[in-house]
Amino acid sequence: MSVGRRYGPGPCTPSEAAENAVELDITPVMNLFIIIIPFLITMAVFTHVYVVDFGVPPNVGAGLDQSQGKPKLRITVVLAPEFVAVTHGDKMLDSLQAPGGVPPVDSLKACLARRRMQSDIHDEVVVAVRDAVVFDNVVKVMDACRASGFVKLGLSSAAEQAGEPVP
Amino acid sequence: MSRRRTAFGRMPQDGGGSAAAFRPQLTSLVDVMTILLVFLLKSFSVEGQIVTPSHDLELPVSSSTQPPKPMATLEITRRAISSEGTVIAPIESFMAQDSLLIEPLHKWMQMVRSQARDTLKSRQVLIQSDKAIPFNVIKRVMYTCSRAGITDYAILVLEQQ
Repeated sequence: MSVGRRYGPGPCTPSEAAENAVELDITPVMNLFIIIIPFLITMAVFTHVYVVDFGVPPNVGAGLDQSQGKPKLRITVVLAPEFVAVTHGDKMLDSLQAPGGVPPVDSLKACLARRRMQSDIHDEVVVAVRDAVVFDNVVKVMDACRASGFVKLGLSSAAEQAGEPVP
Repeated sequence: MSRRRTAFGRMPQDGGGSAAAFRPQLTSLVDVMTILLVFLLKSFSVEGQIVTPSHDLELPVSSSTQPPKPMATLEITRRAISSEGTVIAPIESFMAQDSLLIEPLHKWMQMVRSQARDTLKSRQVLIQSDKAIPFNVIKRVMYTCSRAGITDYAILVLEQQ
């Protein structure tokens, strides 16, 4: 049996069989691609950006409201380059080391989730940050606060001695 | 004489090679186009992007999924504070001073607020800051904005992959 018979009923060589194969006319498809791809490129968004809302804490700056007396205490997360502390008023609740200057986000989430229900205000937290902390770490801590159930975030600066861990 | 296809699909005619039809193989091109089409369809957005991040700063990454709203924008790069491309104050000009108030920024924010006619929108500001900026700079910007009457802040972040 000759090789040529494998490609068709008649006696033909492989090259002849390929020549007789049906070829689709893909020119309209290419035209469609050429029109649709520039349109999609103009409408494509390659970097998705979002926002994180926050405010000035009510006992700081322009948000101070003295008409309702002493403001209620909120959970405060003190962020320093070396540590993260969770405080409530004068009480230090938790203190976490920040190895390499990076706050331990998972541990902080666990601490905040545990402490959240102990506060009078369950959905608000104040993040107090020292001057030397880089902005990226501030956003990480704010993310941890939101992940722990705090929906309202306040951002303020921390005094250099605030939240210092007790030796 | 049999008609034989060359590598580019050229098929010599019986009369000679002068009237040969050139038929390129488009299969691989269609493959590329199909992959490109799928990728672009995945990136397609009807809404577009309200806020375009400034090119000379690296935004922090966050798990937030809240879309941005139109409001006054401040960009804090490693060199200067600017708004929509207009440099308001270089970083070195206010970092040495004791006062937290940045005078040029205060004037700018007052002008922005007056243009917005003291509506709710005029009390909001969107901060685009480089992720390596120390909080000392952010603090001064927030203090100045607060003095200008801004009460609500938002920071622009990149989507966490």
